[in-house]
Amino acid sequence: MIRIAFAGKGGAGKSSISGSFARLLARREQPVLAVDSDPLPGMAYSLGIPIDDRPTPDDVVVEGPEGGVRWVLRPGLDAAGFIDTYATPGPDNVQYLQFGNTWGHVSTLQRGQHAWSQVVKEMDPTAWNVVGDLPGGSRQAMFGWAKYADVVAIVVEPTAKSIHVARQLRNISNATWAPAHVVVVANRVDDPTDVARISDALERPVIAAVPNDPLVTDADKLAVSPLDHRPGPFVDAVEQLVAVVESNYDLDTQERTDGTS
Amino acid sequence: MLSSVPESDTVIVADLEAGIGTLTRLPEASVQSTLVVVEPTPRSIDVGQRAALVATERHQGHITIVANKVADEDDVNRVRDSFAEFDVVAVPEDRVMITADRQGASPVDVDPDAPAVKAIGEIAMKMIAAQ
Amino acid sequence: MKIAVVGKGGSGKTSVSGVLARSLARGGHSVVGLDCDTNPNLGLSLGVGDLETERLLSLRDQIDEGEQEHAHTWDDILEAYGTDSPDGVRLTVVNRIDNPEPD
Repeated sequence: MIRIAFAGKGGAGKSSISGSFARLLARREQPVLAVDSDPLPGMAYSLGIPIDDRPTPDDVVVEGPEGGVRWVLRPGLDAAGFIDTYATPGPDNVQYLQFGNTWGHVSTLQRGQHAWSQVVKEMDPTAWNVVGDLPGGSRQAMFGWAKYADVVAIVVEPTAKSIHVARQLRNISNATWAPAHVVVVANRVDDPTDVARISDALERPVIAAVPNDPLVTDADKLAVSPLDHRPGPFVDAVEQLVAVVESNYDLDTQERTDGTS
Repeated sequence: MLSSVPESDTVIVADLEAGIGTLTRLPEASVQSTLVVVEPTPRSIDVGQRAALVATERHQGHITIVANKVADEDDVNRVRDSFAEFDVVAVPEDRVMITADRQGASPVDVDPDAPAVKAIGEIAMKMIAAQ
Repeated sequence: MKIAVVGKGGSGKTSVSGVLARSLARGGHSVVGLDCDTNPNLGLSLGVGDLETERLLSLRDQIDEGEQEHAHTWDDILEAYGTDSPDGVRLTVVNRIDNPEPD
């Protein structure tokens, strides 16, 4: 079982990489749940799923017990049931759950969105491979929105701004909910020195280097997944990333070899 | 905080958090002008449309769409078609902006005559003239 | 005059903000750059450099963690949480904590 979330500065390529990763993983392992906690659609584009702004209905949650979490899933609706009902099936049989559906008028979050964090907390971690896309920046990650993740992959471009944000994100290693692993993925790599620069700046090895690929820009402009456009260097690199994650961060394998969980 | 800053001759350029979250919480009529920066991709345009809607509804001054990193006429049209009721200004794709980002420098210091820098300079002039 | 610059992450919002501010200043105006991002990077696009931007970033973190006192007036904010950029643009980070999304 793989449970990975992608974090990084807005625009670093989290949605492109996480959506492509989810599909490529789904071709090797099932089932795969893609979870997008960004209120704005991103992952849907790279998964190849049409944008759907229908919010989850308010009645999925009820007020929680005094002194506890304010909104909880309504009686009779558990995380599995929620996923069954509200996840959208996509290409390669990826199931997609999107937090957002924020259009215009929202000044307070819709009640249905509170369900999302409950689902993520309560879902059976052994039932799904989970690939998550976090919103840009460090705030959501630091507040524990990726608690489902065993691995958090920080996506970094070889720019000063991206590196600044990535450095802040490294601090999740010290958070109370900290994921077991925090890794670095370099994106839009132009030359070999980019990887060393990122690795030096973050004081961590880069586990995958995804190149600048004009085919991805084309796919973005056409609003199709890079996998459905013309697979090129970007797709190759994400496939390699899937292989690296499977080799090193598969919870089932880890349990078998260490005897620990 | 932006809405409580006193009015004066000083121009305040507020770089808001990415996305529309902050925009939805900004008190009405906090600013005289809103620049919505979009790349010529559906994903970016989608966010820009949401931002333009919220800014309009909350009376955040004159709204201008900045079509950024445009490579050709197709790119400009993709943005204009998506923002038919708004002023759209184009800033070209420019290697200097990429170099500045990589170096962590201001594009103005990398090359003040770069096409993108000049295009943004023109936006500045237009905004002052429109006051 | 107050100008808000918004957009999807990665659209070039901060770069445009920085160049806009420097251009206005070169045009003779008094300009303040207000960095409202929880990961403040505007300093880089204004040309204050990596180290100073990092310092402001730490300041923002401290503010968010409640380790810094809130300034009481706009002038205090500019003084305590600001730095000078080229062409005389004053840069400051925000010192009000936005309400984060619910847990």
